[in-house]
Formats: sequence, structure tokens, C-alpha cells
Amino acid sequence: MKLNQLILAAIVGVQFALPALAAEGEATNVTGAAQSGSSPLATVGTAASSADTAEIENLKKEIQALDQKVQNLEQKHELERQAATETNEEQIQELDQKVRILSRQHELDQESAEAAAKTRPQFKLDSSGFTLTSADTNFSISLHGLVQLDSRTYFGDNNVANSGFLLRRARPIITGTVFHDFDFNLTPDFAGTVQILDAYVNYRYQPAFQLLAGKYKPPIGLEALQPDSYLLFNERALVTDLIPNRDVGLELHGDPWGGVVSYAVGIFDGAPDYSSSTANTNFDSDLSYDGRIFLQPWKASDVNLLRGLGFGVGGSYENDGGVNGLTSGYLTAGQQRFFTYNATTIASGRHWRLSPQGYYYNGPLGILGEYAISDQDVRNGAAKADLRNTAWQVSASWILTGEDASYTGVTPRHPFNLHGGGWGAWQVVGRYEELNVDNSAFPTFASSAASASGAHAWSAGLNWYLNRNVRFNASYSHTMFSGYTGPSPAVPAKDEDVFFTRIQLAF
Amino acid sequence: MKTILTILFASSLITVAGGKEIKLLNVSYDPTRELYQEYNTAFAKYWKAKTGDEVAVSQSHGGSGKQAQSVINGLEGDVVTLALAYDVDAIAKQARLLPADWQKRLPDNSTPYTSTIVFLVRKGNPKQIKDWDDVVKPGVSVVVPNPKTSGGARWAYLAAYAYALETSGHDEAKAKAFITRLYKNVPILDSGARGATITFAQRGIGDVLLAWENEAHLAVKEFGADKFEIVTPPLSILAEPPVAVVDKVAKRHGTTEVAKAYLEYLYSDEGQEIAAKNFYRPRNPAIAEKYAANFTRLKLVTVDQEFGGWAKAQATHFADGGVFDQIYQP
Repeated sequence: MKLNQLILAAIVGVQFALPALAAEGEATNVTGAAQSGSSPLATVGTAASSADTAEIENLKKEIQALDQKVQNLEQKHELERQAATETNEEQIQELDQKVRILSRQHELDQESAEAAAKTRPQFKLDSSGFTLTSADTNFSISLHGLVQLDSRTYFGDNNVANSGFLLRRARPIITGTVFHDFDFNLTPDFAGTVQILDAYVNYRYQPAFQLLAGKYKPPIGLEALQPDSYLLFNERALVTDLIPNRDVGLELHGDPWGGVVSYAVGIFDGAPDYSSSTANTNFDSDLSYDGRIFLQPWKASDVNLLRGLGFGVGGSYENDGGVNGLTSGYLTAGQQRFFTYNATTIASGRHWRLSPQGYYYNGPLGILGEYAISDQDVRNGAAKADLRNTAWQVSASWILTGEDASYTGVTPRHPFNLHGGGWGAWQVVGRYEELNVDNSAFPTFASSAASASGAHAWSAGLNWYLNRNVRFNASYSHTMFSGYTGPSPAVPAKDEDVFFTRIQLAF
Repeated sequence: MKTILTILFASSLITVAGGKEIKLLNVSYDPTRELYQEYNTAFAKYWKAKTGDEVAVSQSHGGSGKQAQSVINGLEGDVVTLALAYDVDAIAKQARLLPADWQKRLPDNSTPYTSTIVFLVRKGNPKQIKDWDDVVKPGVSVVVPNPKTSGGARWAYLAAYAYALETSGHDEAKAKAFITRLYKNVPILDSGARGATITFAQRGIGDVLLAWENEAHLAVKEFGADKFEIVTPPLSILAEPPVAVVDKVAKRHGTTEVAKAYLEYLYSDEGQEIAAKNFYRPRNPAIAEKYAANFTRLKLVTVDQEFGGWAKAQATHFADGGVFDQIYQP
């Protein structure tokens, strides 16, 4: 551009200079002509004029040449500019295409990710365990667990029982769902005798109609049905001595009307009091018919005071045809046997159970009570009898830290955390319980020299729920016996005093 | 007794007069949305007039391969109308939802209409794309779906490969080199034909779309003849999209009879007209003649002729480790 400007300036300058030179020339010529009219000076003037003309011509030619150069330069510049513009446009188009392609690729990747997310299984790990669920939620499998490490310290028992630690429960609990409506549970227990504790399939046609089949707790006792991780004390009350622990069978059950009513009716192999079938088969050819109905009439109501009230009754009936299907004995809170039938006594005939039951929860307060009858026809040789053993319990709890008590455990509002300042939930618990063996059992079917005819106990304790998964218990039980006439040392010879502790992990 | 019989008889009359409501699911490939929207209305009207029953046909669309896999994985389609026989064969073989000889059950190997692969280019055809050789030139950006998922993409791939074979004296090495050059020009792979049309026509990517013939016509119709034009190459492939009843699903749903009728009606005059109006080449010669102006004449080669059938073509080119996997690097 500078060059062009200089050239143009030169041309303009020349344009002005030329007329000036011409005028000078003319003037000179005029002067010369005036002078030369007829003199040598006139000749000189003419010669000078020719030279100027030639110079002017030369200058004109130079100007034309410069002009041409400028034009060429302008054209070249224009071509270069066009070429640069075209290149820029091509580059812009290319970049535009690249941006569009990237944008579209991003769209497609998002669509693929969304489609993949719809089929990707969901994985969850939290306080309720590990769960893997299919994208359509029709299939899931969960792993839970329960580990309880207890200590039992017996006082003044003359070494009848062993104080010490024990692994009370060690259970991986595998649950899941297949094809949306079929739930399953497989729970082995590795503490003590290794066995399959629960193994069942539940078909959920709808909440009010479900079919359960396999090995599980029969629908009879209230505390018996309460999950092991939610118990107030280390061991269940004497009432559960009269209830079978596990049985194999089939039941129809449901919770219509949002759980206001819960019902279960089933048919089972039948199990003796406080027993499980470890062989998982029927010990006789007779079956037991079990059932339970439980009502929570105010469960969904606005009547806060009664919302936590539930009551019902469970029972069973079977006809044992003369086999050794009697209980192996009744145990204390410290898990010591205080009653057993004579070795030659067998179940022979009807065996029915009835257990009215109920609970009440309101804020931090919890109360649970139940009564159980186990009425059994027995035989010892030619002697027969219809024995009716009974038991009952009342337990109460209060959560000191204000959380709500419930049948299904306590969730601390402020889990224990030394850094964050939470102390978990604290609960005081108390219980009174009794079990009475039918006096008619003695002496033909049971011996007072070996067994007590009754036991009653009171217990008190403190539970510390560090969080939803970890808990610490400490409690004391005092059990008194009646009807024992045998020697000492023996379990029923002296009151049982036991101090319990438990560390529990449940998820 | 008399009252009971009267009530029962009246109830049966009401049932007959009212008609049943039948639901069908048609699992189809990507570009057939408009075709089946129109066809389903026509079939419902026909069936109602014939039987008094209401038929509601719902559609599922996607890349043909993906759709076949969905049915194998449990999508309960009463009928499938896919892009190529191989995909229906996969359903028969892997899920055993219909017999292996399903293709014999309807005329023309169960293909009531045919199609082919053409080029959709920008108006004015700035890159002067006339034939397959132009598509593989450097600097030409080609939009085509992924042959792993899209039936149309497999037809397009085979059309290009067939051209290369025809022009090279059936030299496989040259054909492979040709197809390699083509896919070097492909910047992005959609999963289905409709997605590829969106990429080309709406997102403005690429110089040429290798499209189903019907899809190309629909794009011109929808976006305007001032934006795009169709170039039909002198040689392309005869695409035969098949239809089939998914026997076990239809039986489970109790829809076997209506599902069969649904597919048979595609061969009727009305069905063939609807196909032609939607730019599918009808099998019916009279209707094909009537709509001849919609379809450019070209040399059409078949999968059987060039590749020995779909099973062989799939195994050679589109299976894991096949030719496509060898030549395409994303």
C-alpha cells in the first residue's frame, strides 16, 4: 500500500509538474521566440523546447508504465485477497462441518448412553446391604448379613453353665426377586450347627394375596416372628419355648388394606415346641395347620395415640400319630434347659397351639405382650394324657434419645460419630416372663427330679444403637424355678442369674 | 331358566355387535414410520369392515439389527417387518419364535415391496456425485448408518461392494479397497437410516447420503426440492425387506389370525398402493406400472447373485472380525 501511495504521489506530482514545466517552457519559448525572432537566441530556445518535449514524453511513458504496474499490483492484490477469502471460506466450511459432526456425535453418544442406561443394572450399597437390580426392576439380588457376638456371664451357678463368648448368629442372607413377582430368601447359619435356616420362594400376586413355600418361621408367635436383629434382649422370652422356630410348608398370606390386616394360613410338616427341622423333612406322616391374623386398625388413621397398636392371634393344629415329636426341652433366658420330658414319653394325638398377642408403640415407648398355650396329647407306655403348657411375657422399652420405637428396630437420628458429635440411640428395656408346665406331666411323663414345672424371670437392659447397622446390648436376667425336687448342682436347683452383652452387625 | 337363556343370548349379541379390541405390535426397521402410519389406518378400517373388530397397531422402529435383537431379548412383537431376511432368520434361530422356513409363508419370499439404495445430495449437486466412483473420491463426505445395527446400511454397503465387484471383474481385493475408501469418507455412523437422514438433512453434515430410495424421496418431500436432489446410480442393489408373523408371541397374545391378515393385506391392491405412494417399489406389476414415474430404472443386483445369500454376506462382511471391522476405524 505504501508503494502504491508513493507511486500515485509521484504521478500526481508529475501531473502538476508537467504543466508547470510546459508553462516554463512556453515562457522560455515565448521568451526565446521573442528573443529569437531573428537571432541565435531563438535557435537555442527551440532546441530547449524539443528537449522538454522529449522529457515530457519520457515522463508520460514512465507514468503509463507506473500506472500499469499499479493496476497489475491491484489486480494481484485482489486475486490474493480473493484466494485468501476462498481459503478462509473453505476453512470455515471445513470447521463448520467438523463442529456439526462433533455435535452430532455427541447427540448420538447421549442417545446411546440413555439407551444403555435403560438396560444397565443398578447397583446399590448402603445400610440395608448390597443390591443389584436389573434396569427393568424385574430382577434383583441382595446380600444382607447378621453377625452377633455374645457374652454370657453366669453368677452363683456352681459352674452348671459356662460363662464366656459365643458366636450366636453368623448368617449371610441372600434375598432377591425374579420375574417381578417371585421373591426368594436363602439364609444359612454358620454359628453352632451349620444349617439352612430359611429357604423359601414367595409369589406376590398382589399385597393381599401371596403364596409362600419353603422353610421359614411358621405364622404363630409374635416375638418368634420378629427378626433376630430387632430383638430387645439377647434371647427371646419363655413364650417362644412353646412356638416352633422353623417349619417346612406352604402358606397363603397377605396384607390387605395397606397392612391394617395381616393374615397367614398354611400347611406345614409340623415341628415340636422351640424346634427347627434340620433334616428339612417331616418327622411323621401328619401335617400341621398353622394360621395367624393380626390387626392394626388405626395404622393409617390420624389417631396418633392408637396408630402403633396391633393385636392378633396365632395358632396351629396337628395330629401326631404316636411318634417322638415332643420338644427336646424348654430353655431359660441363659439358654439352659430346665424342663424335658421323660425319654419314653412320645407325642400321641392332637397338638394345638394358641397365642393371643399384641404390641403398642408410641414415640419412644414400646410394649409387647403375648400368651401361648401348647396343648399336647402324650403317651408313655399305656399312660396317656393331654398336657397343656402355658407361657406369657410382657416387655417394655423406652428410647432415651427420643427416636421412635418399633417392632422393626430403631434408626438413630444421630448415628454415633466421634468426629461429628452423634451418639446414636439409647434404649432401656425390661421384661417379665413365665412358663408353666402342666402339673399332669409329673411324674408319668416328666420327672421333677430332672425338670422344673415352671420358670419365671425378669430382665432389664440397655441397648445402644450406634447406627442402623451396629448395635451393642447389655442386660441382666434373673430366672426362678418351681417344682424341681432333684439334686444340686442342676439348672433348676438354683435361680439363674446371667449378665449378657452383644455386639451386633446387621445389614 | 327361560330368563337366564334370554340374558345369555342377549349378551352374546352385544358381544358380536360390539366387536373385540385387538392390539398388535409391529416391530419394524427405521424408515417405515410413514408407510405403516398410513397402512395401519387402512388395515384397521378393512378389518373392522370384515370382522367388526377394532385393531390398534402400535409401532416400534429402529435399526433392523437392533430391532431383531430386541425381539430376541423379549420385545413382544406380534409381527416383524424388518430390512432384511437375515434379521428375521436371527429371531427364528436364536429365540425360536417362528419357524426357520418363515419366508415361504407369504408370496415373493415374504417381501411385499422392494427398494434400493440411492444418493441424496445437496441441491445443485456441488460435488457432482453421479455414481459410486464419485462417492469414494477424497474430499467427499458420505453419510451412511452403521451396518452393525442398520439394515439399510448393510444394503448400502453391499450395493457399493457389488458395484466394485462388477467394475473390477469380481476382484475381491479391489472391492475391499473400494469399500475402504468409501468408509474413509464417512465421518459419523448413526444406528439407523432415520438417524442418518437427520444427520444429513437436518444437521447439515456430509455431501451425500446413501439412503433407502423411499427415505430419499421423503427427505426431498419434507425438506424441500430446493435443498436436496436424488441421484440414482446406474447400478444398485435390490433390497427386499421381509415381513413375518412372530408365531409364539402372536399365539400367546391370541392375535395369530389378525397378524397373518395384517401381513397378507400388504399384498392387496390397497396395501401395494400405499407402499408405492410411500416410495416403496410394489410387487404388483399393475401398481408398479401406475407409479413408474416415481422410480428410476436402474440395474439391480441381488444379494444371492453377488454374495451367495445373506447368511454368507453377514458372516463375511458384518460379523465380528468381518470385512467391515477390518476396514473401518472410527
